[in-house]
Amino acid sequence: MHNPFSLKDKNLIITGASSGIGRQTAIAASQMGARIILIGRSETALQQTAEQCITETRVLSLDITNYEEVSVAVPSCIAEFGKIDGVVHAAGISTTLPLKNITAEKMQPFFETNVFAAIHLSKIVCSVGNYNKSSSSIIFISSVMGVVGELGKTIYSLTKGAVIAGSKSLALELASKNVRVNAISPGVVVTPMSQNAVYTQNQEAFEKTKSLHPLGLGEPTDIANACVFLLSDASKWITGINLIVDGGYTAK
Amino acid sequence: MEDFLQLITEVLEIEDRTITAEDHFKQFDEWDSLARLSLIASIDDQYNVIIDDQTFTKLETLQQLYDEIQGRI
Repeated sequence: MHNPFSLKDKNLIITGASSGIGRQTAIAASQMGARIILIGRSETALQQTAEQCITETRVLSLDITNYEEVSVAVPSCIAEFGKIDGVVHAAGISTTLPLKNITAEKMQPFFETNVFAAIHLSKIVCSVGNYNKSSSSIIFISSVMGVVGELGKTIYSLTKGAVIAGSKSLALELASKNVRVNAISPGVVVTPMSQNAVYTQNQEAFEKTKSLHPLGLGEPTDIANACVFLLSDASKWITGINLIVDGGYTAK
Repeated sequence: MEDFLQLITEVLEIEDRTITAEDHFKQFDEWDSLARLSLIASIDDQYNVIIDDQTFTKLETLQQLYDEIQGRI
């Protein structure tokens, strides 16, 4: 039976695959049949992700903001692994900082990882010979913070809003190449990143954050399943959207 | 201590009075969740000290906050 949600025979690149949403997306995509290049900084953590995948994987440990290294390592890995059918940019960093503590210098690393690296990787993958010309899918993991605001989340919102906006223009530009580009905006998902956040260290703030999600806080698998959908042929007519997966956070 | 009190005055945007080390800063009218974030971030900027939430919750006076910072520098 044909399953439009299957990722069988698809080759993927997933950044941030060492933990959280990136790791779970790799595991879920693997269960759906995809072969995956796992990118992240920690080789050990990537190996642990690889061990949970049931299909072929490659571990590519590098800093995605080291653009020169990415420009060399990724094409070389693709040449060996096979043309890419899908990319999930799940690598991301967050901060909570009020306006008076914001400087251009402090914004830089968040833009580097959350925005610039996403575009740089897309550019590499969408070069001749590196992607499947008949159908490919790029997903930027954004955040509800790219759509609505929260106290102290200005820097994070700036970067997440940027990838939502950028994904739409990119979707138009790449449509003729049969590359779909979409964003997924999670609410607060329980991951190593969110557990380091101020709102989870402070019990009162944590309870408040939880109460803002009518269906409770998210699990990485909630986002991973949305990724599987947007990577699969089931979403072949979907491009330039921002799929909000937030347990009702933005429903109010 | 003088520089520290100046920092607190600026971060919490206190305009109408002079604060002292004995003040219970969380009872200031200016104190709210954003002030808390701003204070923690400013202490990180100024002293390169990150005060974790559990510790911060226990601090009451500016003297206690000052001593906590000094103990970590």
